[in-house]
Amino acid sequence: MQPTRLSRGAIYSILLLWCIVAAFPLFWMVNTSFKLPGESFGSLTTLFPRDPTLRNYTQVAQLVPLGRNLLNSIIVAGVGTVVTVFLCSLAGYAFAKFEFPGKNALFFLLLATMMVPPEAGVVPLFAIMRALGWINNLLALIVPTAATAIGIFYMRQYISSFPGEVMEQARIDGAGDFRIYWQIVLPVITPALGVWASLAFIARWNDFFWPLLFMRSREMYTLMVAISVLPVSEGLATPWPVIMAGTTIAVVPLIVAYLLLQGLQREGLAIGAVKG
Amino acid sequence: MTSPSLRSRIWKNRQIYLFISPFFILFIIFQLTPMVWSLYLSFHEWSGLGDPKFIGLGNYRFLLRDSVFHSALLNTLFYWVANALLIIPLALALASLLNVRWLRGKRIFRTTVFLPYVTATVAVGLIFGMLFDYNSGLVNDLLTRLGFAAVPWRISTQWSKLPIVFLIVWRVTPWHALILFSGLQAIPPDLYEAATMDGAGALRRFFSITIPSLMPILFFSFITLTIDSFRIFTEPYILTQGGPANSSISVVQYLYINGFSIFKLGLASAVGYALTLILLLVSFGQVMAMRRQSGLTQVG
Repeated sequence: MQPTRLSRGAIYSILLLWCIVAAFPLFWMVNTSFKLPGESFGSLTTLFPRDPTLRNYTQVAQLVPLGRNLLNSIIVAGVGTVVTVFLCSLAGYAFAKFEFPGKNALFFLLLATMMVPPEAGVVPLFAIMRALGWINNLLALIVPTAATAIGIFYMRQYISSFPGEVMEQARIDGAGDFRIYWQIVLPVITPALGVWASLAFIARWNDFFWPLLFMRSREMYTLMVAISVLPVSEGLATPWPVIMAGTTIAVVPLIVAYLLLQGLQREGLAIGAVKG
Repeated sequence: MTSPSLRSRIWKNRQIYLFISPFFILFIIFQLTPMVWSLYLSFHEWSGLGDPKFIGLGNYRFLLRDSVFHSALLNTLFYWVANALLIIPLALALASLLNVRWLRGKRIFRTTVFLPYVTATVAVGLIFGMLFDYNSGLVNDLLTRLGFAAVPWRISTQWSKLPIVFLIVWRVTPWHALILFSGLQAIPPDLYEAATMDGAGALRRFFSITIPSLMPILFFSFITLTIDSFRIFTEPYILTQGGPANSSISVVQYLYINGFSIFKLGLASAVGYALTLILLLVSFGQVMAMRRQSGLTQVG
C-alpha cells in the first residue's frame, strides 16, 4: 500500500522534530562551552558563540585535576569492561553448554539477584570497602561488577543458539573446556562480545552513584564526579560555560565512539537491546 | 540419585564450577553480606562509631512518621507514574515511526534519537539545569517570548519535579523505543495483510494486532521502568539537590543523606529494606496482573 503524500510528510516531520529534540541539548552544551562568561547562553538569538574561546576548558583544568580524573574514568571503564566481558562470557558458556548438578538452581538464583536493588545494602558495603582498604581505590569500582547477572544471562542466551558439533569435534581432538572456550567459542561470539562491551563501557563511564560513594578525594574522582562538583566550586553565580566545558569533556568521547561504532557496523549495532 | 555418584559428578565438573564461580563469589561478598548486615543494622541505632544499639523496630517506626521520608516516597511514586505515562506511549510512537516500511534514512534517525541515552545522567542533569534556569535558561526565554510567564522550574516546590521528569523522559525514551522496535519487527506481516483484507483501518490494526502482539515486550519495558524509577538518585541530586524543601527528593537520595551526610546508619539500612520490599511487592503485583491475562504466561 502506498502512503499518501500527507502521511509521508507528517511522519518525516515528526521524526525530524524528534531528532532535533534529541540532539539540541547536546548542541547547546558544546556551543555554550565556547562562549565568553558575559555572553548570553539562554537565548536562541545567540545561537553560536560570538567569539569562540577555549578559556572555559582551561578553567575546568584549573578547578579539578582533569587529567587524573580522565585517566581514572578510562581505567575504570576500560579495565572493567575487559574483565566483565571475559567473566560473563565464560560463565555464560558454562550455563549454555554444560550439564552439572545444581545448574538450574544456580541459574535461578542468578536471575533472582537482579530483582534486589544494590543501593539497599550500601551502608555495610561502604564498611566492607573500607575494611578492604578500597576507599579511594579504583578496585572498588571495577571488582564488584566484574561479573554481573545480566551479562551472564545475555551471554548464555547468545551462546545457546550456537551449535555444539564443533565443540564436540574439538573435544574428541583432546581440547579442554577452557581451550574450547578460548579458541572456538570466543571467535564465534564476537558480535555479542562487541554489543556487551559497548554497553558495559557506557554503564561504567557514565556511572555516578558508586564513584560518588567510594572515591572521596579529588584525585580519585572519575570524570562524572569531577563535573558534578563544578557548580559549587566557584562563587555564587553559576558558571554555566565552565560547567558545559566539563560536561563536554565527559560526554563527547563516548558520543564520538558511539557514532563511529554505528558507522562501522554494517547492520547497525543493536545497542540498547539489553542493558549494561 | 546416590550421594557418591553426585559427589563424583560434581568433582567431574569442577572446572565448570570454576567458570561460574566469580559471579557467586562477588555476589556473596558485595551483595549478600551487605544485605544481611543491613538487616541487622536496620534494627539498631548506629553512627559508625562504637557499638550499634538495639532499638527493635524503632527505625521503621520513625520512617512511618517522618515527613521527609513521606515526601521521598510520594515523589518517587510521582516519578514512576509520570515516567510510565510519558515514556511508554512516546517510545511506542517512536518505535512505530521507525518501523514504517517505506521510511528512508532509518539508520540516521535511529542513531540520532538514541544519542540521549549515550549521554551520562550527570551531564544531562547539568545541561538541563542550565536550560531550566529561572533567570537565564533557554526554556524560560522561549516561554516569555511566546507570551507566557517564566516558570520557577527548579526553585519552587510546585514545579521542581517536572524538570526531573523531562530529563528522565528525554534520556530513557530511546532505550524503550529500541526494545519495542525489536518487538515490532517480530510481528509477522501477514497478520496485518489479513486484517487489511478484512477491512480493518490503521487504528484498528494498531489496537487489535500491534498492542496484543507487543504485550510481553511492553511488560518487560514496564518492569524495567519501574525498577529504574524506584532507584532514581542522580537526577534530583544534580538538578535540584532534592529541594526546595524536599519537594523533589527521592527514596535513594533520602537513603544517601541518612547514610553518608548525617550518619544515621541504622535508619539508612531500614530505608534500603523498605525500598527492597516495595520493589519486590510492585514487581510481584505486576507479574500477577500479567498472569491473569491469558496467553501471556510465558513472560512471568
